[in-house]
Amino acid sequence: MTQRLAEILISSFTKILIPGIRVTIPLTILSFAFSLVLALLLALFQVADVPVLKQFSQIYIWIFRGTPLLVQLFIIFFGLPSLGIMLEAFPSAVIAFGMNLAAYNAEVIRAAILAVPKGQTEAAYLVGLSYPQLMARVVIPQAFPIAFPSLFNNLISLVKDTSLASSITVVELFTTAQQIAARTFEPFALYCEAAVIYLIFCTVLTWIQAAVEKKLVWEHKESTGRKKPILG
Amino acid sequence: MLQVKNVHKSFDDLDVLKGVEFRVDKGEVVAILGPSGSGKTTLLRCISFLERAEQGEILFDEYQYDMTKVTPKQIREMRMHMGFVFQSFNLFRNMTALRNVMEGLVTARKIPKAEAERTAYEMLQKVGMADRADYYPDQLSGGQQQRVAIARAMAPGPRVLLFDEPTSALDPELTGEVLDVMKKLAYEGTTMVVVTHEMGFAREAANRIVFMEGGVVVEEGRAKDFFENPKEERTRQFLQRVLENRV
Repeated sequence: MTQRLAEILISSFTKILIPGIRVTIPLTILSFAFSLVLALLLALFQVADVPVLKQFSQIYIWIFRGTPLLVQLFIIFFGLPSLGIMLEAFPSAVIAFGMNLAAYNAEVIRAAILAVPKGQTEAAYLVGLSYPQLMARVVIPQAFPIAFPSLFNNLISLVKDTSLASSITVVELFTTAQQIAARTFEPFALYCEAAVIYLIFCTVLTWIQAAVEKKLVWEHKESTGRKKPILG
Repeated sequence: MLQVKNVHKSFDDLDVLKGVEFRVDKGEVVAILGPSGSGKTTLLRCISFLERAEQGEILFDEYQYDMTKVTPKQIREMRMHMGFVFQSFNLFRNMTALRNVMEGLVTARKIPKAEAERTAYEMLQKVGMADRADYYPDQLSGGQQQRVAIARAMAPGPRVLLFDEPTSALDPELTGEVLDVMKKLAYEGTTMVVVTHEMGFAREAANRIVFMEGGVVVEEGRAKDFFENPKEERTRQFLQRVLENRV
């Protein structure tokens, strides 16, 4: 019995891992990239106080943060076809995850932008920078290291949330585990195995986060080995 | 060269400027003195359009506008000829000292990088910061940051430099190095408007003093006359108080 279980676990490990690498990871990366682009726009609309678009951002965030991700996923995949919009399962998942996460990331980016001291904005205008130049050269480079840990936190959440895509027929890591569990009647072992694979993915991400964060603080860049002058 | 007329500004229901007239001529150093809350800083911020005046007129060489009707584009044009030094330095923290000074040249004025770098180095040399060119603001002391900020304001060759209490955020020991740089600029004939509490600097480097209180200009005149023969009672009181409190 235990030997049978061991064999199942070993043979299923790669069977679960492969869709994890081929589906879960691309799904995560694409959804996150989509969410970042959308989030940056939503944040900038608010910070720049663009009329109409600012209200649009606020309503967007209100709706997408205030309704369950699973429901959003179902609306896009099962609901939109009745309006004549048919999407494959994978793009539906990318859109749902991306749009949902954008609401959260927009708030992270907005808060990070607001954390950049306002005096630098005035200084930028007075050396002649325009608003887009100010954003691109001064504000966003400084907001990024502030936003990074929270954005990465959301990325790690997303890795696990992609398992919801199993409910709209995307054959990803968790779907595969479900199929094998159903076939072998070993749900406990198989779901634990799926959990371990998610944990491995997230562990790698945690390492990446730590490595990137070390490099992110500009004072440490280019100045390694130089002593900080003692401030008065 | 730069003149504002009848400037009014209020915050909520507090009238900060009540019809201020102010002018600075080419090559002149004007110190604006006055107690806290007198509107000195607000005046400077209205001149540079960091605050929008509720009434007033600006005459800045070829630019002559109603201050309430000026467009963002016109503001940007005028700012291209103004340098501004803040109380809190406001250096771009993601850039080295050199890059801070280059930014207005390269990004705003599209000057080629090599040329901008040369200019920026010259400016840093002028303020005695060339050896710290590749330091980030957080690695510099307050006085050093302020000297870089002065270099940044001067780099594009503005017609007038505006200083908003440039030494108020500094320890007394660091004040001297910043004032020395400013005196040097003053003697070189830079047109400067300096809001300050440094009486020594005003007396030594300014050609003209404008004394403000309660949102109006109470007295103005040549620096020597102002300190030796103040006309207004209020000015005398002010001078007496600051001289007594001297450290």
